[in-house]
Parts: sequence; structure tokens; C-alpha cells
Amino acid sequence: MQRLFKIFRDKRGISAVLSSLLLTVVAVAAMAIATSATYVITTNLRETMSERVIVEDVWFNNYTNSIDIYIRNVGEVTVYILAVYVNHTSQPFPSPFTLEIGEHQWLNISQNWVPNSSYYIDVLTTRGTHVAAYYESP
Amino acid sequence: MLLLIMNRLRLDKRGISNVIVAMLTLVLVVIIVSNVILTSYQMNQFDWERMQENVEIVNVASTVDGTTFTLQNKGSVTVHLVSLWVDNTTIHQRYDMDLYINAGDSVNYTLSNIGSVDNASIVKVVTDRGTISVLNSSWQNS
Repeated sequence: MQRLFKIFRDKRGISAVLSSLLLTVVAVAAMAIATSATYVITTNLRETMSERVIVEDVWFNNYTNSIDIYIRNVGEVTVYILAVYVNHTSQPFPSPFTLEIGEHQWLNISQNWVPNSSYYIDVLTTRGTHVAAYYESP
Repeated sequence: MLLLIMNRLRLDKRGISNVIVAMLTLVLVVIIVSNVILTSYQMNQFDWERMQENVEIVNVASTVDGTTFTLQNKGSVTVHLVSLWVDNTTIHQRYDMDLYINAGDSVNYTLSNIGSVDNASIVKVVTDRGTISVLNSSWQNS
């Protein structure tokens, strides 16, 4: 008991222990940060490369006077639609619009359209993928 | 002599932290690069297969059972059809499909719950890889 008490009271060499401990903590923290950064970078790259979206159909709807776009996620990650442009003008749409892997649904754009006109429709995802084409109204 | 050098090297601890740091950095770089290359390879494969897809809607015919669509896979890979569209001026109707067609095969696909498909309708099928094949107003209703 007395011996243990003596060891605890002995302050010699404690700075070496502390510095080693501190260095270990710093090294572990640095590696943790590096590993997290690696994970984030590879995940972002992988998701951006795996994103595939198609527009199955565009319906210039007479009844609702809107442009309805049917979108399908054929990629390997969830897709988040960020914006829809009709003739380079941003259009409001029901946001957030998310498509899981293999999911497909209508995206309704309240846009007054005129018959026999050409429309450039561009769908943009949060990862920067564009699905754009010209469509002719009936 | 060799034993002496080996012994000396084993006891010499100088510069070992540099080696450890270099090794760990190398491991991280290898993980990043292999991950990116693997994903890139997978998606290149996907795009290549998609480019090989070539489905043709040969004919649309009204029968007693409903409407029969004759589909032919002219590509070099098996296709999985997931959507069938019948678009006309009043409605764009989508039907769920789950049909595999081997390369070179021709399949008759009949839908009973379908409305009238006239000559002015646009019929199209979509594969799970995202290829769209269209047949418009030139088909014969036999």
C-alpha cells in the first residue's frame, strides 16, 4: 500500500509519459480525420459516377395545362431533383422530389404551353447530372 | 557480416515513424483509387450494355384477348422491359412490364386491360437500363 502511494507521489518521468500520450492522441485524431475525409471523398465520387436518370415521357397535358415529366432512376444511388428548366427558365415543382433506386414517377410542372412549339426541358439533380432534350408540344 | 548489419538495422529505430506515416498514407490512397476505379468500371459496363440494347416494336395488333405487341430484341444483350407507354392526344398511359427478351428473340406481349390503340398513338417500351424504343403511327393494325 505504501509502495503504491510512493509510486503515485513520484513525479519523475511524467512529462515523457504525457508527451507520448498526447502524441498518440494527435496521431489517432489525424488518422480518424484522414479516414473520414477518404470516406466522404470516395462516397461523393462514387455517387456522382453511379447516377443515371432518364425521362420516360413528357406529356403536354391539356386538362391541367401543365407539362408532366415521367422520370425514372436507372442508376445505383438515390436521386434528388434540384431544379427543372423549361427553355432555360427555372420552374417550380413539388420539392423535395426524390427517386429511390429503380423508382419512377410523374413530375408536374405548372407551365402554360402553346401547341406546335418546341420546348427545351432540362432536369437537374443535386449531384449535377443534367437530363435535357427538346420536346414538341402537340 | 550480414548478420551484424541485420542486427544493427533491427535495433535502429530512427525514421520509423516516417515509414509508418508513408504506409498509412499509401493505404488511404490505394483505398480511394481502387474505390473510384471499381465504380467507374461498373458504370462503364452499365453504359456499354445500354449502348448494345436495341429493342424494336415490330407490330401492334388488336386481338380477342386484347392488344398484342410484337417485340424483337435486335441487340446483343438480354433486355428487361419495365414500361410500356401508349400515348395519344388525350392521354399518356403507362403500363407496368416485367419481360425479359434474349438477344435475337421475338416475343408477343398481350395486354388485356388496354383501351383502344389507334394508328395515331405512339407506342414505346422502356428497359431497366433506360433505353427507350418508340413506334409511331406507321404500324399496321391487323
